[in-house]
Amino acid sequence: MSSRRRRHARSPASAPLDDDDLLCEILLRLPPQPSSLPGASLVCKRWRCLVSDPGFFRRFRLRHRRNPPLLGFFDRFDILSFLPTLEAPNRVPCERFSFQCPDFGSCSSSLGCRDGLMLLFLRERLQVLVWDPVTGDQHRIAIPAAFDDKKTLIGLINGAVLRAAEDARHFQVVLVVADGDDEQHIRALACVYSSKTGLWGNLISTPIPYQPSDSSFRVPTMVYTDDAVLAGGSLYWKLAGNMTGILAFDLEKQSLAVIRVPVDMYGEGKCFKVMRAEVGGLGFLVVSESDYTAKLWKRNTDCDGVASWELGRTIELDKLLPLKSEEKEPLAILGFAEQNNVMFLWTVIGVLMIQLESLEFKNLYKTMIFSYYHPFESVYSAGTCVSGGHDRAKLLVNT
Amino acid sequence: MATREAGKKMIMLKSPDGMEFEVEEAVAMESQTIRKMIEDDCADTAILIPNINSKILSRVIEYCNKHVPTTGATGAAASDTVAPAALAEDLKIWDAEFIKVNRATRFDLIQAASYLNIKGLLDLTSQTTIDTISDNSLEEIRSFLSTKNDYLPEEEQTIRRENQWAFQ
Repeated sequence: MSSRRRRHARSPASAPLDDDDLLCEILLRLPPQPSSLPGASLVCKRWRCLVSDPGFFRRFRLRHRRNPPLLGFFDRFDILSFLPTLEAPNRVPCERFSFQCPDFGSCSSSLGCRDGLMLLFLRERLQVLVWDPVTGDQHRIAIPAAFDDKKTLIGLINGAVLRAAEDARHFQVVLVVADGDDEQHIRALACVYSSKTGLWGNLISTPIPYQPSDSSFRVPTMVYTDDAVLAGGSLYWKLAGNMTGILAFDLEKQSLAVIRVPVDMYGEGKCFKVMRAEVGGLGFLVVSESDYTAKLWKRNTDCDGVASWELGRTIELDKLLPLKSEEKEPLAILGFAEQNNVMFLWTVIGVLMIQLESLEFKNLYKTMIFSYYHPFESVYSAGTCVSGGHDRAKLLVNT
Repeated sequence: MATREAGKKMIMLKSPDGMEFEVEEAVAMESQTIRKMIEDDCADTAILIPNINSKILSRVIEYCNKHVPTTGATGAAASDTVAPAALAEDLKIWDAEFIKVNRATRFDLIQAASYLNIKGLLDLTSQTTIDTISDNSLEEIRSFLSTKNDYLPEEEQTIRRENQWAFQ
């Protein structure tokens, strides 16, 4: 219990609201939308003091861990600029999440976003950087030698960041890379960092099967640069190159596995993205220009533990979207928000945000630039944590 | 209330206004506070529940009775015929009826749920309070929660300016 706990003898009707702990319990249930905490802080000084407390915000984050709003996205190829996608009064201005780091050079890259944290790779420094866009905190971690991408065959590392389930202050980083002596002998490597211990764990590896293609264009298998997807206790990345498939990392067993996919993902006019299936497990999404569909596949495991792919829904994009026949040309998936089940799709008429369950969509803006978006799904403290300190001190003196 | 099987262990709960409620141990243990007392062997034949009057305590017991997992003979029969999703839906409807109480009773229930550490009841009562106020204006929220606005007009303006986007 908090040391600030206090009770005043007033009418029984208002009693729970006089107890800070109970009032916090109630305020924790505010909706996760960004305008919630600024709104509550206007009620009175005491409310502002409570919702400004960093401890309260951590609990608020944990409470909404499974239903954070999609605030917007960071554009990988536009200096990680933020673009809000919610409407007023929840449209957080882009400058609230501006990324500044002198070591984020031209060779650096953004690896992914999860639980309100962004993972970046500072290639020149051989460090990963975990950035909390809400608080501005940055943590740098030197990477294990095996992930020095200049020494690997393909030169692309990927990774994922996730907050500890029980304490929002701590996080884990999982780095993955495909490496080997030649294109026929590639293995996937993974290593996990915990901010609790400040240490990297053991190097984990698994061979990636060699799958020669008929095409003369051959590339050693690599872990593709898309954001990882978290589904049912495992992280998943797309594998591209000779072997087309999915790399899985089981967070509990700390093991890697390679999963094959049933259809040709890199056929002409196709766009393939790993996603969380609607039932919660692993899935993937194929957008095809030839028939203008989005097909949702899911991985099932039967009672004997045998896994298989099943085609779920097919979304007919030409029926859903207001496209004239001459506009039915290229399509590209720019990003996928796993918790809100929203796809960012590039079309001739604009970048569309499509919620895959309700099929509601919104045209964000028209652009001729293909980019890559890191969806930012998080609660937001609205800066109340920073500016609330003074009032709080005053309040504690007054009471 | 369904007839309970004979032989189940019963616990006596006493409110400060002298009322006694005999409840099944499993029902009482929906409260983590009481569970701990029982597990630590601090509970004799009767447990005094301070601060919670008989009117509120009887409502809390009503809630726990409804939410205790059904494992007995009657419970097994029920779960054979009713799917878990339907049971959850039934509980939701029941909860919605249960929480149709006046403000004072709801606040008393929040306090009781917190003291007795009954997560489901705390969720229900707190969430209902938030839902009641979330569509209201600031003045309505203050009046509903008997909270006084202690900001000077210029202080309020400063706070609005800090996050102008949130008040559009």
